Amino acid sequence: MLLSAAALSAGCNAGAGERAAAEPAQPGLRGTLLEPSWDKPDFTLTDTEGRAFDFRAGTEGFVTLLFFGYTHCPDVCPIHMANIAAVLQDLDYDERSRIRVVFVTTDPERDTAPVVRAWLDRFDRSFIGLRGTQEEVDRVQAALHLPAAIRQPSRPGPLPGAYAVGHAAQVLAFTADGRARVVYPFGTRQSDWAHDLPKLVAGWRRPEAGRGAASGG
Amino acid sequence: MQWWCSAQGLAWSWTWRPYVGVWILVAVLVVWYVRLARRSGGVPAGRRWAFAGGVASLWVALDWPLGALAAGYLASVHMVQFLLVALIAPPLLLLSIPEPAWESLTRRPAIAGALERLTRPIVAVIVFNGLVWLTHWPRVVDGLMSYQAGSFLIDMLWILAGFVFWWPVVARVPARARFGYPRKVAYLILATIANTGVFIYLTFSHLPVYATYELAPPIPWISSREDQQAAGLLMKMGGGLVLWTAIGILFGRWYQAEEGSGAPRAEKA
Repeated sequence: MLLSAAALSAGCNAGAGERAAAEPAQPGLRGTLLEPSWDKPDFTLTDTEGRAFDFRAGTEGFVTLLFFGYTHCPDVCPIHMANIAAVLQDLDYDERSRIRVVFVTTDPERDTAPVVRAWLDRFDRSFIGLRGTQEEVDRVQAALHLPAAIRQPSRPGPLPGAYAVGHAAQVLAFTADGRARVVYPFGTRQSDWAHDLPKLVAGWRRPEAGRGAASGG
Repeated sequence: MQWWCSAQGLAWSWTWRPYVGVWILVAVLVVWYVRLARRSGGVPAGRRWAFAGGVASLWVALDWPLGALAAGYLASVHMVQFLLVALIAPPLLLLSIPEPAWESLTRRPAIAGALERLTRPIVAVIVFNGLVWLTHWPRVVDGLMSYQAGSFLIDMLWILAGFVFWWPVVARVPARARFGYPRKVAYLILATIANTGVFIYLTFSHLPVYATYELAPPIPWISSREDQQAAGLLMKMGGGLVLWTAIGILFGRWYQAEEGSGAPRAEKA
């Protein structure tokens, strides 16, 4: 499962100096390795309980899977969430407790906090759901070298006013040392997650943990 | 417009879609049977019903919604499609063929020779199981199901496999005097064992084996893992139901034949 760097960063509006090059996955990981790795961005959005959620502080020390999507998404979003949730259920408690999954809605108009919570609970009640204004979410995506979500014209259908939202389809994986190291495009399968998640948990610990910390980018 | 069901990557909708290729297949079968019936001077009602059942099985299996769900959304529906196409439609279609048509086959040496070789029970069971394995191999399914021609090929291979498999049990020609009821029963029992491999593979694979269904736009009420387990169970239970029903019918006929003759003997036809 490989995806070209071009496909991953299509529409990306990050500065050239910051923009990371995606390399083919190194042996040992099936996701696409980011070299150099990125810093975990510092942003605060609102969680589904209405509280401010500081992403950097709230996920510190955890392997964090970050995904931007929306609950009316017919394909990419529920497939990613379902596959990650299924594989998390298979991990042992120690591995699972070191992983956070964060979903940021790109459709704040329809995705109210209860809607996001109910949708995430279909997959895993531990998944964190975040909301912000469209501008806030766009800024966060820009900081992560992801294209801003775009509202697309609705197709004729039974629901008047229904619309789709074009958004980045990849899941960003941050390791416990606070670096974005791997990208998982749409098409990542459960077998890929099952292969990579334990390695992400074991591979890069927080520097202060002082055990097996790999060199960051 | 699509002519055959294939995986589209679009969210599932209960909006009807036409698949012209399926209609053409059904129409060709109907026209062929009507002409066959005329040439044979009429067909008994039982055979006509068998034909209707066989064609209906194919039509239901290949057309919307079953065909579309099977091609791009649910492995379990794909398995229902397999059961209809390979295990139910072929024996019904073979049973529907009128007696004079069977006799005409024996008058064509080339066809009779090919049938004699291809439908030997040992050959038939190997061909059937080989095609079943091949058409359920993840690389083949994932490689073909997203193309209409690929999906069509899999469906045609299933129909072919079904005809080859059922031919020794149902067909009148070539006459196999030694392949009587006991051996037919044993042949079908062997088939119930042979499909266990695919059943085990699908039911007990912990992770989804088919990318086609794992990455399909989800159907809300079933996960990809549950869907795959359901597919494996359907193959075993549904296939077993069909095969054991056939075994039961054969036992019944065997018993009637024994009663009628008063002494053990091989089945004539």
